[in-house]
Amino acid sequence: MAKTTENILPSGEKEHVTLHVNGEDISLLIEAHWTLSKVLRNGCSLTGTKEACDAGACGACTVLIDGIARPACMLLAREQVGKKIETIEGLEKNGQLHPIQEAWLEEYGAQCGFCSPGFIMTTKALLAKNPNPNDDEIKEALGGNLCLCDNYEHIILAVKSAAKKIAKGGK
Amino acid sequence: MKRFTHINATSAEHAVSCLQEYKDSSYVIAGGSDLLGCLKDNLWMQTPEAIVNLKTIEGLSYIKEEGSTLHIGALTTLTEVAESSIVKKLAPALAEAARRTASPLLRNMGTLGGNICQENRCWYYRYPSKLGGRIDCVRKGGTKCFAVIGEHRYHSIFGAVNKCIAVNPSDTAPALIALNATIKTTKRTIAIDEFFSAAHGAGSTILDRDEIVLEILVPVAAKSAVSAFKKIAFRKSIDFALVTCAIALEKDADKITAVRICLNGVYNNPMRSQEAEEFLLGKVLTEDIAKEAGEIALQNAKSLFQNIYKVQLAKTLVADTLLSL
Ligand SMILES: Cc1cc2nc3c(=O)[nH]c(=O)nc-3n(C[C@H](O)[C@H](O)[C@H](O)COP(=O)(O)OP(=O)(O)OC[C@H]3O[C@@H](n4cnc5c(N)ncnc54)[C@H](O)[C@@H]3O)c2cc1C
Ligand code: SF4
Repeated sequence: MAKTTENILPSGEKEHVTLHVNGEDISLLIEAHWTLSKVLRNGCSLTGTKEACDAGACGACTVLIDGIARPACMLLAREQVGKKIETIEGLEKNGQLHPIQEAWLEEYGAQCGFCSPGFIMTTKALLAKNPNPNDDEIKEALGGNLCLCDNYEHIILAVKSAAKKIAKGGK
Repeated sequence: MKRFTHINATSAEHAVSCLQEYKDSSYVIAGGSDLLGCLKDNLWMQTPEAIVNLKTIEGLSYIKEEGSTLHIGALTTLTEVAESSIVKKLAPALAEAARRTASPLLRNMGTLGGNICQENRCWYYRYPSKLGGRIDCVRKGGTKCFAVIGEHRYHSIFGAVNKCIAVNPSDTAPALIALNATIKTTKRTIAIDEFFSAAHGAGSTILDRDEIVLEILVPVAAKSAVSAFKKIAFRKSIDFALVTCAIALEKDADKITAVRICLNGVYNNPMRSQEAEEFLLGKVLTEDIAKEAGEIALQNAKSLFQNIYKVQLAKTLVADTLLSL
């Protein structure tokens, strides 16, 4: 059994950790009760991950953890050490938007845009698992993301268009 | 969220020793989808000092069939349960219950162990302390139930336990009860019929404060056995149930030879309908029989002023679930 002291972060103390975000190692000082969304936004300046409900019920803070879409506001930052974290900022490569982002622009997937990063990250995980989803599969997979502008029809069109782009060789 | 000490447990024994060290002031965290909500809202009268992470313990996440039993590790996520071909085949009610829980994002982090140990969702109990102060109701150790005199449209239709009328919110609980599961903990093995207990105060199970669920065991029933789960909620996703119903049954030449029916969202604990089960034994399932079973399951309901509609929902859900089998 490893010693408790190695695995413990006492209340009120800070700990040096390295988070692996969008392919980069970021060194940070964190406290035990800090959520991943807070640390991404305040510690890593990655404000694309939005905080809306702060209760896991809206999906605005969705990030990928080892490829799985999860709400970052309900994850403790300390528990994400050693995992591959992907945020909306990691999608664009060398000034080139990701096909899902392009599809979002072309199909008007965003109205106010606040929910878009979350929707796009959930879509990325969906298309990795199911490259050609039908409407019902899209609705089920995006069931944890809310859009207060009620732009769902365009969002579904954007997901379908993204699937086609990726099938044609986008990444 | 208030500060706490965080410990990454290295083994189940290590986790238990941490819980013992911090006594009543510690909780384990599995997915955290329920626990972080409770911590953010600072809803307990005593703020926990320590949070013990179970995800760093190896070997608590698996689904396997061994002999005539399905073994599911407590840390298996609901997505894994819902998508598992073994669970879909051997315990369809459980796969469907997991699929209908919360939202895809929450199922990607929420675990089966956490789902059956989650706190109740009564809106007085869950009231965030930052909005004018915490509500210290009976369930938390206070003196009054605010729901009885206040808003109780989602509360119990079968009366109170220790003056509390909050319902058990778990979607997998009724499925596990219908399937007659067993819960293996760090201390003992518990039949699912004994596992849930709102009489324990805060929390919804009979678990001791230093006890951890390790595994959920589901017996693989005879070939003729079938099971189903249905949920009524306002929305398809991200919504707790108004009522859920899970049924497992076996037939011989069309006659029902064994049946277990469980409702949830109707009482403090998930509720088996033994009278309806007895009524169904030996019968051939028809629409009339299914409806009558629904009536019998709800015959002792004592709804309050705002939640009488749930009685009708539950009756219909029992009949619908039966007819889907
Ligand atoms: C927006 C929202 C919607 C939701 N909708 C639903 C719904 O529709 N249906 C539903 O059933 N649930 C719902 N939930 C509740 C719940 O979050 C999930 O069901 C989930 O399964 C809980 O698992 P977890 O691993 O995240 O639990 P955690 O939050 O980690 O733990 C929950 C509780 O159980 C204890 N615990 C966890 N694991 C163990 C263990 N192995 N042994 C002993 N104690 C343990 C913890 O100490 C804690 O008190 C919802 C939650 C949110 C935030
Ligand atoms: S129903 Fe239970 S949890 Fe809700 S206010 Fe009453 S005592 Fe508290």
